[in-house]
Amino acid sequence: MKQRVAVCAVAQIKNEPDIWYQRFQGMVLECFETIVEQTGVTFDMDKGIRNVVTCSDDVFDARTISDNAITDVVGAHFRGEEKSCQDGSNALGYAMASILSGHDDVILVAGHCKESQPESRRMCSNLAFDPFYTRPLGLDFLSAAALQARAYLKQSQVTDAHLAKIVARSRENAARNPFARENELVTEDDVMQSPLICDPIRALHRYPVTDWAVAMLLCSEERAHEFTDKPVWLTGFGNCMDSYFLGDRDLSESTALQKAARRAYTMAGVDDPKTAFDIIELGDAYAYQLPMWAENAGVIEPKSAGKWIDSGGPDRMGVNLSGGMLNGNPFKLGGLARAMEVVLQLRGEAGDRQADKAQRGLAHGTTGAAGQHHSVLVFEK
Amino acid sequence: MSKSSEDCHVVEGKLALPYQYFAGRTGSRFLISLRDEKKIMGIRCETCDTVFVPPRQTCERCFSDISDNWVALGNKGTVTGYTIIRYEEPHQPVKPPYILAQIKLDGADTPITHIIKGMPLSKIKTGARVKAIFAKKPTSSIRDIEYFRPSDDRPAFELGYTYDELEVGMSASFTKTISESDVYLFAGISGDFNPMHLNEEFAKLTPFGTRIAHGALPQSLIAPVLGMKLPGLGTVIPEITVRFRKPTYFGDTITATGEIIEMIEKRRWVRMELRWTNQKEELVAEGSCLAIPPMPMGK
Repeated sequence: MKQRVAVCAVAQIKNEPDIWYQRFQGMVLECFETIVEQTGVTFDMDKGIRNVVTCSDDVFDARTISDNAITDVVGAHFRGEEKSCQDGSNALGYAMASILSGHDDVILVAGHCKESQPESRRMCSNLAFDPFYTRPLGLDFLSAAALQARAYLKQSQVTDAHLAKIVARSRENAARNPFARENELVTEDDVMQSPLICDPIRALHRYPVTDWAVAMLLCSEERAHEFTDKPVWLTGFGNCMDSYFLGDRDLSESTALQKAARRAYTMAGVDDPKTAFDIIELGDAYAYQLPMWAENAGVIEPKSAGKWIDSGGPDRMGVNLSGGMLNGNPFKLGGLARAMEVVLQLRGEAGDRQADKAQRGLAHGTTGAAGQHHSVLVFEK
Repeated sequence: MSKSSEDCHVVEGKLALPYQYFAGRTGSRFLISLRDEKKIMGIRCETCDTVFVPPRQTCERCFSDISDNWVALGNKGTVTGYTIIRYEEPHQPVKPPYILAQIKLDGADTPITHIIKGMPLSKIKTGARVKAIFAKKPTSSIRDIEYFRPSDDRPAFELGYTYDELEVGMSASFTKTISESDVYLFAGISGDFNPMHLNEEFAKLTPFGTRIAHGALPQSLIAPVLGMKLPGLGTVIPEITVRFRKPTYFGDTITATGEIIEMIEKRRWVRMELRWTNQKEELVAEGSCLAIPPMPMGK
C-alpha cells in the first residue's frame, strides 16, 4: 500500500484587513501554539519536528529572506528550515515530498503575510515582472489578470452578471466562516454597479487587502496516531509553471492548471474530477477566476461555467464554501487558505458551512501573473 | 489580544535599491536595436516555427538555442487583448486612465504588452491596428517604444456606408437658405447671367414676377447628402435625374433629401429617391439617382 501523508492539525487566525496591533511573528506564534496544544508535538530531535517549511514573501515583508524573521517563532533554530515563496500550497507539497521520501516524518508548515503593511500590493506585484520588457510598463497582477479576464470571458459563456453572482455568493459563504475577513454583504446589483478599475475587472471583482497567518502539522502515516485521531490524508499534489511572458501563453485557458491538476489526480488515483470531490476550494483572487479555474482543473466541462453558475453548480459541488480567496486571504497564502478549508470540512469542523459527508476535497493555489503557476492538492478523510 | 494603540510605534520604511540589471547578450541586442536603430527585433525558433518577442536565447518549448535567429519585425501590430487602467499607482509609467494592450507586431507570433495612446478609451478593441511611437530621448528600455498609437493603415477619414451597411428606407437630408449672394455667386460659377436671376425689372415680366434662383442651385444641395451623409464619403454618383416642380425664390429654405429605394445587388449600387422641398413643405423638385457606395480605399 502506498504511503500517505497525514495532516494532523491546522490552525489559523482570523483574516483581517489590518492587523496593526500585532506583528506577523505574533500572528504565526498564535497558530503555532494552537498546533502544539492540539497535538502535543515537540522539538525533540528524535520524535518531534526536525523540519519546518515556512511561506512568506520578501517584497510583502520588505526584507530579504523573510523567513529569517520567524525562524525563532516556529522553533526552526538548529533544525531544517525551508521557505516557500510560491503560493503557500507548495509548502504543503514540499512537506509531502519530504515525508514520502523518508527524509523526515514530522513537519511543521507555517505561513504569514500582512498585505496591509506595504503602501500597495500592486507595487509589490509590479516587482514580479522583469525589469526589461514588462516592469517599465507598469504591469502588476491586477492588470495582468484584467488582460486574462478579457481573453477568458470572450471565449466562455461567463458574463458580468455571472461574475456578480460569484462575488455576492462569496460574501454570503464567508459570513458563515468565523475566520473569514468580515466584509459587507453585497447584492449582484452592487457588484455590477461597482466601478470598472481595470476593464473588465470591477472594484468588487477582486479580493480585498488581507492579513493572515496559518500553520499546519503534517506527518507520515504511521505516526499520525501520535498527534490526532482525525487525520486528513494528503493523497495528491501536482504543480506546474506556465510561460513567463503573457504573450507566450493563450491567456484564455490555463495549460499549467490542466497539467498540475492531472498530476495531482494521477497521484491520488482520481479518475473523474467532475464527480470525485465533495469539497472544492479554488484560488479565485478575481471573480473571473472561479469559473476559469473550475474549467481548467477539470471539475466542470470546458465552456460550461456560465450554465454551471446559473444552475447553482458551485453550491451543489461544495465550491469555496469558505468564501474563497475573493472574500480575502493574502495572495501568497491563498492555496494554504484553500487547503485549510478542505481539511476543516473533511474533519467535520466547518461549523455552519459544514458540507454533508465530505470524503474527498480539492484545494488549489496559484501565484504569478495571470495564474502563471498552479498547484493542486487532493485531501481525503 | 490588546487593541489599544498606546505605546505602539510604527517604523517607516522604504525599499529602494539602485541597481543595474545586465540584460544579457540577447536582451542587449534587442534593446540596442530599439534604441539606436528604432528597430524591433524578434527571434525565430525554426523547430517550433514561432517568432518570439521579447527575445530569448533558448526556446522554452524545444530548448533549441535560437539566439542567432534574429528577425526584423514591423513597427505596426494588431491588438490581441487589452485593459483600461483606471487606478493610479506610483509604478505606472503614465497617468491613468490609459490602455494597456497585448500587441502582436507584424512578423511576430507572440504579442508584447504595451501602452496605447491617441485612441479614445471606448474605441479600443481587439483587432485594432497600432504603430510604435519611438521615444525622442532614449531610455535604454522597452520604453524606447514610448507607446503605440492607432496606425495610419487606413485613411483617417470616416468613410460612408458600404453597400452591405445600407438598406432600403435609410434617408438623410441637408437644409440651406438660398440668399441673393448665393444666386450671384452661382451665376459667376456657371456663367449663367440670365436676367431672370439677376435683373429684378426683367424678372417682373416673367411668369414668376420676381427673380428666382437657378434650378441647379437648389438641386446642388443634394450633393452634400449623397457625398457626405448617405451613402457618405467615398460615394460616386453615376446618374442623377431631376424634374423641377416649383421655383426657388431668394430667401427660400430648401431641404434636399435622399432615400434608398432599391439595392442593386448585381452591381452593388443603390437607387435613391431624391426630393427637394421649401419651408412651406412645397415640393420644389424630385428625382432619382444611382449611387456607388464607398469601397475600401487604397493606401
